[in-house]
Amino acid sequence: MNIHAYEKLWLVAAMLLIVGFIATITYGSVALGITMVGDQQDTVEPTELADDDRFDDPRVEQVGENEYEAYVVAQTFSFQPNPIEVPEDSDVTFYVTSRDVIHSFSLVGTNVNTMVIPGEVAEMTVEFDDPAEYGVVCNEYCGPGHHDMEGEVHVVSEDEFDLTELEADGPDEVETGDEISVDVTTENRQLEAIETTITLEIGDETLTEDVTIEGGETLETTFTVDSATLGEGDHDWTVTVDDHTDSGTVTVADDLEDDGGDDDE
Amino acid sequence: MSNAYIDQFPAEAKVIRAAFYSSFFALALGGVFGIIQTLHRTGYYRFIDSADYYTVLTAHGVFLVISFTIFFLVGIFTWAITTSLDRGVEDLRFTWGWYGLMAVGITLTGVAILAGFTDATDISASVLFTFYAPLQAHPLFYLGLVLFVVGTWFAGVDWFRSWWAWKAENPDERIPLPAFMVLTTMLMWYIATLGVAAAILLFLLPWSLGLIESVNPLLTRTLFWFFGHPVVYFWLMPAYMMWYVLLPKISGGKLFSDPLARVVFVLFLILSVPTGIHHQYLDPGIAEGFKFIAMTNTMFLLLPSLLTAFTVVASMEHGARQRGGEGYLGWLKALPWRDPVFAGMALAGLMFAAAGFSGMINAGMNINYLVHNTFWVVGHFHLTVGTAVALTFMAVTYWFLPQVTGKQLWSRSVALGQVVLWFVGMTFMSNAMHRGGLLGIPRRTAEPQYDGFEFEAAVGSVAELDAQIALGGVLLTLSLVLFFANVVGTALNGRSDDLPDNSYAGTLSGPEDAPQILDNLKLWTAIAVVLVIFAYTFPLLSIIDRGGLFGPELVELPLSTLDLESISALALAVEQSTIATLETTADTATAVIAGVIP
Ligand code: HEM
Ligand SMILES: [Cu+2]
Ligand SMILES: [Cu+2]
Repeated sequence: MNIHAYEKLWLVAAMLLIVGFIATITYGSVALGITMVGDQQDTVEPTELADDDRFDDPRVEQVGENEYEAYVVAQTFSFQPNPIEVPEDSDVTFYVTSRDVIHSFSLVGTNVNTMVIPGEVAEMTVEFDDPAEYGVVCNEYCGPGHHDMEGEVHVVSEDEFDLTELEADGPDEVETGDEISVDVTTENRQLEAIETTITLEIGDETLTEDVTIEGGETLETTFTVDSATLGEGDHDWTVTVDDHTDSGTVTVADDLEDDGGDDDE
Repeated sequence: MSNAYIDQFPAEAKVIRAAFYSSFFALALGGVFGIIQTLHRTGYYRFIDSADYYTVLTAHGVFLVISFTIFFLVGIFTWAITTSLDRGVEDLRFTWGWYGLMAVGITLTGVAILAGFTDATDISASVLFTFYAPLQAHPLFYLGLVLFVVGTWFAGVDWFRSWWAWKAENPDERIPLPAFMVLTTMLMWYIATLGVAAAILLFLLPWSLGLIESVNPLLTRTLFWFFGHPVVYFWLMPAYMMWYVLLPKISGGKLFSDPLARVVFVLFLILSVPTGIHHQYLDPGIAEGFKFIAMTNTMFLLLPSLLTAFTVVASMEHGARQRGGEGYLGWLKALPWRDPVFAGMALAGLMFAAAGFSGMINAGMNINYLVHNTFWVVGHFHLTVGTAVALTFMAVTYWFLPQVTGKQLWSRSVALGQVVLWFVGMTFMSNAMHRGGLLGIPRRTAEPQYDGFEFEAAVGSVAELDAQIALGGVLLTLSLVLFFANVVGTALNGRSDDLPDNSYAGTLSGPEDAPQILDNLKLWTAIAVVLVIFAYTFPLLSIIDRGGLFGPELVELPLSTLDLESISALALAVEQSTIATLETTADTATAVIAGVIP
C-alpha cells in the first residue's frame, strides 16, 4: 500500500494519542483505586422493597468510626430519604435502587452520578469533607413529573449530626384525676454513646430527664403528669430530644365513661 | 442537454426525490419541536404543559435521528451505488417497496408519538427515542420502528444485488469507492440492528401487547445500546462519504488517498458495534471489566475519524492548490468559500473537530461521571449528528437537488446564508449546553429549576447560558426556514438544461494502491462478528443471569390502558408482521451471506 510520508506520521501520532488516553484512564481507575459503579451488589425485587432488609426503611446507618451507609430508594418522582444527612469528614457508601422505572441519582456539580435501574442496586462510596449542601437530581427521564424529582444531601458539622430516632406515644383521652403517661422511645443509631436530655412539655408543665444512650441502643422512658393539674380540655404535648420532636394531644374530661357509652350506641 | 443524474437514471432519481422529501418533512417537524423545547426549557416561552414536553422531545429525537437522517442517507446511497457502478437498480418495484415499508413504519411510529398530545385516544409513546423499559409505549410505536428498520434492510439487499450483478459483469475490477462505502456501512448496520430487533421483537413489543408479564430493564437497555452506538456511525458514514467523494471535487481537486478511505470504512465496520457499553458506564449490574473493554474499543474508534480529518484536509489543500492557492496556510483563501456546498461541508467538518474533544471526555470511563446525562451530552451530539451530519446533508442537498430534480437551485446566496447561520446558531447553542452540563444541569428535563438548590456558575450565570441557548435555537430555526425556502423554490423552478454533470471526485492515489484484501468484505464481516461476540457474550449472559431473561416483576409506566379487543387485533397484526419479518430476515441473511461469499 502506498502511504504518503505525512500520512504515516499522522497515523503514528493518532495511535500514540489513543494509547495515551487508554493508559491515562487505566492509571486513573486502577492505580488510583477509583471504583466505579459495577456489579458489586446482588439484585433485588423492585416490587418487594417493603420486605427488603436494606430498603424497607431508606436511611443512613453508621458502620465504622467515620463510615456510613445510605440506603436510598428512587421512585416517581422523589428520593427517600430526603434530605439525606451525613456528617463532615466521613466516607459514605450509597446504595441506590428504584421501585419503578429507571432514574438517576446525581449530586449536582460533582461526579457522584449513577443510573438507578429497577432490580439493580448501584453502589458508590463518596468522601465528604466540609459541611455543605448538595442538590440531587434525577437526570434520566422517568415520566411526566421527571422535572419535579429532586432531593438534597446535607453534610453537617459533627455537632449537628446524629442518628437519633424519637417516638413518643400518649393517650388520646383521660378522665380528670387520672395520670397521663407519655412513653418515649429514643434510639441512638450511631456507634458511640450520646448524652442528652429528653424534655416533655405539656400545658405549662415541663419535665426533663438527662440520659446516656449507648451506641446502637434504644431507651424507653415514661413521663407521667397528673391530669388534674392540667384541668379539663385539650392539651398539646411535645417531646424533644436535641433537634427531634414528637407531639400529640390529650383530652382531659369528666365523666369519660358516659361519653364513651354514648359513642358506643 | 446536460448529463445530470436525472438524465442518466430518471426512475431512480424519482425514488431519491421521494426519500429526500420524506427526510425534509421529518426535519421540518423535528425543527418545530426543537424550538418549542428550547424556549420551554430555558423558560423564555412556555405554552405547552411541562408533562407534554416529553412528547415533544420524543418527537424531536425520533423524527430527526431516525427519519431525517436515515431517509436522506438511503437517498444518497442509492445515488452512490447507481452512479459508481454505472447501472440502474435491478428491480425498481423492489426499490419502491423498501421505501414504502420505511414510510409506513415511520408513519405508524410518528402517529403513536403525536397521539400523546391528545386525550382523544389512549395511544401514546412519550418514551423518548431510547424507549427504556419499564417506560412503555403503545405497540404501534415499536411495530412502526420494526417496519422502518426492515425497510432499511431491504434497501441494503437492493444495493448488494446491484453489486453482485455488476461483479458478474466486471469480475476483475475493484469495487468503486462509493459502492464500497455503501456496502461496508450496510454490513455494519445489519450487525448493529440485530440488537434493537431483539429488544423489540423478543421483549418490548410482546410486553406492550400484554403477551409477556415483564422484561429485564437492564437487558433491553443493553440491547438498545448495542444498536444505539453504531447507529451514530450509520449517520456519520454517509457524511464521511460526502467528505471523501464530493468535497474534494467541489474544492477543485481530487481525493488524496483511495486506500486510506477504504481502511477507514473497514475500521468502522469492525469497531462500531463492540463499543455500545460506553453509554452504560454508570449502569449498576454491569461489571467494570466489561465497561473497560468497551472504552478501549471506543478509543480505537477514534482512529478512523482522525484519519478522515487528515485525508479531508489534504484533499482540500490539493483542490486549493489546483485553484492557484499558495503558501503554508494561504491556500485556505483559494477554497470556494462562496459555494454553499463547500462552505457547509467545511463548517460541518470544523464543528466535528470540536465535537471530537467533548467526545473524548465522554469516552473517558471516569471523567464521564461528571457529564453523563447532563446538558453537556446534548451539546455534544448537536455538534455530531446535529451539525457534522445534518449540516453536511443540508449542504450536499444544494448539489443533489439539481441532480435529482433537473432544476436549478433556487438561490445560492440564500443557501450560503443558511449554512453560515446554522454554524453560528449551533456555536451559541452547543457551547452553552456544554457549559450548563458542567454545572450539573440535567438533559431531558422540562423545567431544570429546582426548589431546594440552584446551579452555580463560576463564570457567567445560568440566565446567560439560557439566553445563549435560546438565541442559538432561534438562529437554527431561521436557518431551517431558509433551507426549506430553497427546497420549495427549487421544486417550483422549471427544468434546466444547464446542470453540472453527475460525477464524483477522482483520486490522487487510486484503488490500484489499495491491497486487494481491503475488498474482502467476508473477512471484515467475520472479524466484526467475532469482536461483537467477544464484547457482548459475557455482559449479556451476566445480565440475564442476574436479572433473568424476562426480569423481575415491574411497575410499568404508563399502566397498560389497552382493552382486550384491540390487543387481540394488534397481536394478530404483529404476528403476521413478525412472520413476514422473520422471513425477510432469513432472506436478507441468506442474500448477504451469499453476496459476501464470493
Ligand atoms: C432547530 C434546530 C434544533 C434545536 C433548536 C434543537 C434543540 C434541542 C434541545 C434544546 C434539546 C434538549 C432537550 C432536553 O434534553 O431537554 C434537543 C435534544 C435533541 N436533539 Fe435537537 N435541536 C435542533 C436540531 C437537531 C438536529 C438537526 C438533530 C439531529 C439530527 C437533533 C437531535 C437531537 C436529539 C437526538 C436530542 C435528544 C433527545 C432525547 O434526549 O431524547 N436536534 N434538541
Ligand atoms: Cu427522572
Ligand atoms: Cu456511543
